[in-house]
Amino acid sequence: MPITTTRRRLLAGSAAALALPAFARAQGAVKPRLTAISQWSAGSDGAAITALGKKFEEKGGTWQHSPVPGFTTEMMNKLRAQIIAGDPPACSQLKGPEIAAWSKIAPTVDLDAVVAAAGYEKVVAPDLAKLHKPGGKWIALPLQIYSTNMLFLSKRAMDKAKADKIPVTWADFNDLAEKMKSGGVAYPVANGGTRPDDGQKFEAALAGISPISYRAAIMNLEKKALEGPEIKAAFAQVRKIADWMDPNVGAQHFSTNLKRFVDGDMGMMIMGGWAQGVLRNAGFKFDDFMIAPGPSDNGKPVFLLNADAFIFWQRKEPDLQAGQTLMAQLVMDPAIQTMYSQITGSIPVRTDVDLSGEGWSDGQRRTAAALKDSIASNQAVLSLAHNMAQENGMTAAMIDVITEYVKNKTIKPEQAATRLAEAVEGAR
Amino acid sequence: MRDRTFAPSRILIYLIVSLIAAAWLAPLAVVVLNSLRSNEEIAQGSMIGWPQHLAWSNYAAAWSGFCVAETCAGIRPYMLNSALVTIPATIFSTLLGAVAGYAVSLWRFRGDSWIYGIVTLGIFLPQQMRLLPWTIVLRDTGLMNTLTGLVLIHTIQGLSFTTLFCRNYYVAIPQELIRAARIDGAGFFRIFWRIILPLSPPILVVTVIWQFTHIWNEFLYGVTFTTGQQQPVTAALIALSAAVADIPQHGVQSAAVMIAALPTLLIYLIGGKYFVRGLTAGAVK
Amino acid sequence: MTIAVSTGPGRPATSDRVRRLPEYLAIWVPLLLSAAHLIAFSLWTIWISFTPSTLIPVTGWVGLRNYSAVAASRNWQIALDNLLLFGSAFVLLSLATGLILAILLDQRIRGENVLRSIFLYPLAVSFVVTGTVWSWLLNPGLGIQKLVHDLGWTSFRFDWLIDRDMAIWTIVIAAIWQSSGFAMALFLAGLRSVDADLIKAAQIDGAGPVRMYRRVILPTLWPITITVIVIQLQFAISTFDLVRALTNGGPGIATQLPALVVYDLMFQRSLLGRGAAAAVLMLLLLLAVLLPYAAWRYVQRRRAIHA
Repeated sequence: MPITTTRRRLLAGSAAALALPAFARAQGAVKPRLTAISQWSAGSDGAAITALGKKFEEKGGTWQHSPVPGFTTEMMNKLRAQIIAGDPPACSQLKGPEIAAWSKIAPTVDLDAVVAAAGYEKVVAPDLAKLHKPGGKWIALPLQIYSTNMLFLSKRAMDKAKADKIPVTWADFNDLAEKMKSGGVAYPVANGGTRPDDGQKFEAALAGISPISYRAAIMNLEKKALEGPEIKAAFAQVRKIADWMDPNVGAQHFSTNLKRFVDGDMGMMIMGGWAQGVLRNAGFKFDDFMIAPGPSDNGKPVFLLNADAFIFWQRKEPDLQAGQTLMAQLVMDPAIQTMYSQITGSIPVRTDVDLSGEGWSDGQRRTAAALKDSIASNQAVLSLAHNMAQENGMTAAMIDVITEYVKNKTIKPEQAATRLAEAVEGAR
Repeated sequence: MRDRTFAPSRILIYLIVSLIAAAWLAPLAVVVLNSLRSNEEIAQGSMIGWPQHLAWSNYAAAWSGFCVAETCAGIRPYMLNSALVTIPATIFSTLLGAVAGYAVSLWRFRGDSWIYGIVTLGIFLPQQMRLLPWTIVLRDTGLMNTLTGLVLIHTIQGLSFTTLFCRNYYVAIPQELIRAARIDGAGFFRIFWRIILPLSPPILVVTVIWQFTHIWNEFLYGVTFTTGQQQPVTAALIALSAAVADIPQHGVQSAAVMIAALPTLLIYLIGGKYFVRGLTAGAVK
Repeated sequence: MTIAVSTGPGRPATSDRVRRLPEYLAIWVPLLLSAAHLIAFSLWTIWISFTPSTLIPVTGWVGLRNYSAVAASRNWQIALDNLLLFGSAFVLLSLATGLILAILLDQRIRGENVLRSIFLYPLAVSFVVTGTVWSWLLNPGLGIQKLVHDLGWTSFRFDWLIDRDMAIWTIVIAAIWQSSGFAMALFLAGLRSVDADLIKAAQIDGAGPVRMYRRVILPTLWPITITVIVIQLQFAISTFDLVRALTNGGPGIATQLPALVVYDLMFQRSLLGRGAAAAVLMLLLLLAVLLPYAAWRYVQRRRAIHA
């Protein structure tokens, strides 16, 4: 029975887990080396991880990154294969509740001492910190933060609509969309049509209508909240958004539409800050668009939290352990977070990084401000579409309902709400 | 009716054939044209269009320029990886399949039809289902993240197909030929080498074409069982097409598709004639 | 092991066996490896389908729970409906296309080599590339529809890719493009091996071309037709990369197919046990196709022996 052997091997590994002092000692003696797996291979993601690798090498380490191009699923296949083979990478990309799930199948590194040494805990949002220390100990480190519901406004489309006010509530958003439409903007909404893109439309709508309902229904899966009127209202808003989109988008990425968005042929886009990195990498100017927090009916910003992270897998090799310590230090380093976020368009995980400097955009500053405000007003919630709120199985079951609703205009908001509640029951 | 006259009916035949051929060529034409258009030009118009300025730089970028994370070497190193897996796996699976097909068809032995039946069922076993079992096999053999491991997988999986086709081909060889050779004292290998192999080129062409294209185009195992520096060409293609963090690179992507498809296209172009001939001789029995 | 063509009576002597060791190895090692991996992998999957495995395989027993969860899921039901439609449409149409192409090429036309290569070349292309390129062509905002609009015919619509009811047909189109060449090659092979005497006899009887095909040539193609149907059906059932690149199961979940659901459950949703159950159901589907075929082959062979 090959599998039981693996498990036994894994358990043995965790029992023999090396204590941290040894871990730290090892660093001086050997040249740090890091094996890493991520799906970040192209565009701004590829550029950012490459820059991180360079920093790692500057500090005297050997950087062995193995990018797995394609969907996240393939990256996970690779990770799973390495874990089953008893040869996990020293660290790998993983995020949200999956960190807790995966930490049960292979021993991870206890990072508490490194995190404490860096004084990192006090500068990370508490909800976020929780995801990275599932058993009470830090085993993973968040690298960068996005809000999935940032509102991108095309300057040229705004001119066509003769509008200059950034919409605050969903009603404002709907007004502006109508104005754009009558001002000659062909499609007021510029989103793409992939599964996560459809999920983002829904989560932006619901969290903007009621962050309390979002927390109860989507994050805590409370039956009553799932059947509440806010869910129906959110689906109704999603229908409006979908109707303002180019029906031809099919399942294309949002990035297919960026040029038409900048040209003012399309008006608004509800997307994560990564769109800014893509826009910048593609050579568009910051004057071409504005970024603001997504619509929120109570006027206070709602932040749909999406954080990329690295999980650290236990290894016996001293050079890999030294590499893990170095990597952990780098990931927590404000200078590194600044560098990383400035390439990808995200904001740093650390809440103490000053974003007034030159390399930051207004959009990033607004995002950071929104994070601070939303934490204060308890309106920072975890993104469903980007696998932060639920494990992948539950997420996929919910996105099934949402994407079907977006693509099928005959489904009524009430029906969609019922189906969503059923899907949650079925996937529990 | 089967002669070369230019009756109206023949003109009609040519017309229909050319129309279908044009439709069949259209996707290739689109890729070739896009491989010569800049990304900006494609973004301005549609995916179908004539190049305004020939953007040969797409090919340069695709061949040795574009980056997959920190490696900016284009598609070139991945082509080599794919070749290192595809060529040995094609040769091994073809040769072993030929021997197995020869044994099953001409050296009837106890249990032959059973084992042949099971082996050929392998054609139908979905690939996704085999991913985790192969992971365990590679772990236990210590071949995870080696090109040898991939060669092993493709050789064993390929046997289902190569055995099936070779067996169907060799079945048509008269038993008397073997019997006579045995009376002359020839053994299993000698008969294979002297009699069977010289008769085999048509079917070997079929299996080589089939194996080569399937292994070359494989993605799932290629990314799961290798590390960064060993990934196959399909991984590099996906890196160009599935990038969320970039605007579409349709021009470079098309050029990369053309380069990556060149070996398999050439094999079909050169071997196409023999493909039908080999099928005529064997596969349809 | 006994060799059927063995000339001497009785069992071979021990020394003979030792001498023959290399050939036993050459025969048995590859075949046994291949058969063993197929049997072991299938049994393993069946076993996993009864366990509560999620991220990685674990031991345990959940009975038929994984099966009932798969059977009750909307994705699976849609996938089965789609398979029925896609499978029958694709098999019939690729059969027809392959046969027509083969008959046309069999008319001793000029440039047969070139044309044959044109119809065969899609086989050389990977499914991922096929899916991607067809997603460009069929996307109404990027491909054919956009082209026709830009040429001035703005009311032209060809938007199956984004139409829930028609999207499955885009997969049929791409699949036919990719694999009709194979059907053509098989049929062409069949047409080329039709007995020349048969044709001559029919010509003497004064049969016209249509009659010739209907009455004389096509009936001899039956065995090939069955082969083509089986091969194309297994292609339809295991279609995966193509859909993933072309529609990824969308719009919504309108173009789900069983192989896609298996992969999705096993690796995306990390529900290994459930994915294995779906895979076993898929194997049963394949058996449902293969068993009648095997039975037919058996009857054929018996008839051939007795004839």
